[in-house]
Amino acid sequence: MASVTLENVSRMYGAITAVDNVNLKIKSGEFVTLLGASGCGKTTTLRMVAGLEKNTGGRISIGDNVVSDSDKGYFVPSERRRLGMVFQSYAIWPHMTVFDNVAYPLRIRRRPDTEVRDRVMNALRLVEMEQYAERPSPALSGGQQQRVAIARALVFEPEVLLLDEPLSNLDARLRTQMGDDFRALQQRLKITALYVTHDQAEAMALSDRVVVMHGGKILQVGAPEEIYRRPENRQVAAFFGTPNLLNATVKDCRPNGGQYYKLSVEGQGWSGDCHAATEMPKGADVTVMVRPENLHVRDAGQVNGDLSWSGEVSQAIFRGSHRSIMVKTPAQTLHVEASSLSNVDIGRPVTVAAPVEAAWAVRN
Amino acid sequence: MTIIHNRPLDDIAETAPTLAGNAFTRAFSGGSLWRLIGMLVLILILGFLTIYPLAMLLYGSLHSTPPGMAGEFNLNGYRSIMTTQNLIVLANTIGISLAKTIPSLTIAVFLAWIVARTDTPFRGTLEVLITLPFFIPPILTAMAWGMLANPQVGVINMVWRWATGATDPLVNIYSYGGVIWHMCQYSIPFLFLFMVDAFRAMDPSLEESSRMCGASRWTTFRKITLLLMLPVLTSSFMLSFIKGIETFESALFFGLPAGIKVITTDIYESINHRATPDYQYATSLSFAIMGLMFLLVIWQWWMLRGKSFQTVTGKGFRPSVMELGPWRWVTFAFCVLFFFITVVLPIGQLMLGSFFRFFGFYTYDMLTLEHYRNVFANSEFWRAVRNTMVLGLLGATATMALGAIVAYISVRTRWRGRNLIDSMAWLPWMMPGMVLGVGFLWAFAMLPGPIPIYGTIWALLLAYIALGTPVSVRVMTGAYHQLSYDLEECSRVHGATWAQTMWRIMVALAWPAFAVGWVLTFFGIMRELSASILLYSVGSETLAVVLMKLWANGNAEQVSVIGLMMMLLVIVFRWVQLSFIKARISKL
Repeated sequence: MASVTLENVSRMYGAITAVDNVNLKIKSGEFVTLLGASGCGKTTTLRMVAGLEKNTGGRISIGDNVVSDSDKGYFVPSERRRLGMVFQSYAIWPHMTVFDNVAYPLRIRRRPDTEVRDRVMNALRLVEMEQYAERPSPALSGGQQQRVAIARALVFEPEVLLLDEPLSNLDARLRTQMGDDFRALQQRLKITALYVTHDQAEAMALSDRVVVMHGGKILQVGAPEEIYRRPENRQVAAFFGTPNLLNATVKDCRPNGGQYYKLSVEGQGWSGDCHAATEMPKGADVTVMVRPENLHVRDAGQVNGDLSWSGEVSQAIFRGSHRSIMVKTPAQTLHVEASSLSNVDIGRPVTVAAPVEAAWAVRN
Repeated sequence: MTIIHNRPLDDIAETAPTLAGNAFTRAFSGGSLWRLIGMLVLILILGFLTIYPLAMLLYGSLHSTPPGMAGEFNLNGYRSIMTTQNLIVLANTIGISLAKTIPSLTIAVFLAWIVARTDTPFRGTLEVLITLPFFIPPILTAMAWGMLANPQVGVINMVWRWATGATDPLVNIYSYGGVIWHMCQYSIPFLFLFMVDAFRAMDPSLEESSRMCGASRWTTFRKITLLLMLPVLTSSFMLSFIKGIETFESALFFGLPAGIKVITTDIYESINHRATPDYQYATSLSFAIMGLMFLLVIWQWWMLRGKSFQTVTGKGFRPSVMELGPWRWVTFAFCVLFFFITVVLPIGQLMLGSFFRFFGFYTYDMLTLEHYRNVFANSEFWRAVRNTMVLGLLGATATMALGAIVAYISVRTRWRGRNLIDSMAWLPWMMPGMVLGVGFLWAFAMLPGPIPIYGTIWALLLAYIALGTPVSVRVMTGAYHQLSYDLEECSRVHGATWAQTMWRIMVALAWPAFAVGWVLTFFGIMRELSASILLYSVGSETLAVVLMKLWANGNAEQVSVIGLMMMLLVIVFRWVQLSFIKARISKL
């Protein structure tokens, strides 16, 4: 297995910059996800690693080998990069059987027939498709095609596995299951994987690290929990779920003993404590992020959290697994995810509270 | 498994040439040199096939003498075509083409609707029968109808006189009506083929939702179905109109004897039927008609701009079928009648003609096999069969290969110059066979001595390739568009080189389209008369040319024999093609 290194990688289309100075190091055996809305440059980045696009700036290395260096005009074509790739459409060749599809990378490399047979069957066994080997490939369902595509990508033990939204064409239930299966397989084989998706839940469940991209640039790189709980800026914060983002002013700032700082902030009609990654001067404008699932609704006047707002319930929607409650406060309407068992009357005055660990401040 | 040798960076620094950002050096790095050479060769080939004859046409129209003779440049050619007589020729050409397009389109729409959207019995078989006339060379039906509807001895008129006692003939094929009638027989199946899939592929939910909104069946047809079909109808109309202007056979057989001239026959006459061929007149007229075609094509583009033909969503739905009740036998009878008139009647006439001693005298004691003996003993016939077969096989293969390459480069690559070769390959679309024939006549005559193409079958081969290229490019473009890029890229990422990917993925997936296009081109070559008649010489006649010569000599009986052979060939080929396609579909 090999690492992947991107140094100052850019891709221009005429005057448009699709990928802008991306630096990223993927360790051997690591599962890294490129996450972002469509048009953020994540797929272009993946295709540059695959050698399907030429980077117009910077250098890409796989393991110790440089595969593309735009300054030196050096470029290794796709077929010599020893990669496995799963395409969004799966790209299962319709004129071949399942076996032929998976055998393709080996036959191209002129492996002996016995070896081809063994390895293809092994790969198909990995994805639990061995009984379908002789099926013509158009006769497969979406989930089966996806498994075949993974088997094909793994069959010749590539240095790196690239995946371009491989789960997006599956239905929701199958998506979760295939995702979990795939993550288990990746950890068992210890294969380096670079994965592209626009689905945040998928990115968090699968990856060792998530790379959030926007407008061709990397916004933040980190473990899923890190990015979810401690985003570096408002854009990343807003990307996951529907957090409450409140404007506030810093009143006081001190180290909390760990790696973070504890802030006292004041907003319109509320005040309290929260955490931040960096030291902030007094009077600085910040955005405080509080996730709906970390907010609690209490009876009016009952304060036992580090942060609290008072207001009245304006809307309550039963969603099965939880209940979405909208609380109108002087600052703004807060979105709270409460237990579906809780019963809230519309118009009732309440207090909304959150612990200090649940509130995270970023500079505006 | 160490197949690749990615070099570490220090290694590159020593060996890799430093590349400046200019296109020239980039083009010469790595595999690009071969790409550049390949593109140049392709441009040369296409240039020779399209630009060169076009340039020679222009040269000929401005030069006072035939190629190879001393002469001067002048505008006499263009002056000589500016006559009131030619204004009538132009009016005839456009009028006849319009007059055949409108009824053809109406009938073709009706037939397409019957086959695609009603519960008429045996629709599958009817579809095959209706499209058959498209594959029959027009020269055969022209000759058959020349015998069937001859005012004096045609079977139709003989039966009419016998049945009614009238002395005047019922129909006279040598008239405007005859020319139009013959053109329709070819146009209807052509338009049907062009439209039927659009009718079939239309998403029925579009119509159903109109019904749900309270519109009646008729209102739905008017406001939804017809308007959705409008782009297809418009382009069908334009295509048929343009083809009508290019048509040669109908006007040659039925127009000229009646003194009705169109542009193509006028060009033909000025070269073949005058005491001294007036080449400057012919080339000037050819160039003028190209100008007309160019305007028409521009008009077609303008009319269709921004209109999408996509009513297909790719989802597997069944089109809703209208239940006609007892009327379904009426629609069935209509289709059968069409088949009877366009296929059974001409074939019957050819059989009749081939077994009787003299055409027009059908009595028992006149029965003979003499014509078959004569034809089979005729070495010229066998030579023509061989020529046609060689030209068909080579021509179709070469045309499709060229089309496949051009389409690939223009659809699947971002190479410099891809638009150039695409336009060059499209140029013959504007050139009627007759015009391209004149252009090549000049082009071959101007070639330096050591390249003796003129007078050989290679002259015909080149003209056929040029004429067939626009269609072959279109067929292959459609095929490539349906193949997702992923299929190709996936192969590259998994270790296959460009050449391996081409062979194992693209060729393997595109060959059904290639085969369909091949058969189309083959039929096209077998049918071709207008360029052949200008470019053939003794020894390089095709079957169509031999037929033409026999017909001119009044040998209708032997024409019938050869015509029957060709019909047989067409039906066999069509049957093989259809069963082959069916086998493909059921396999998938």
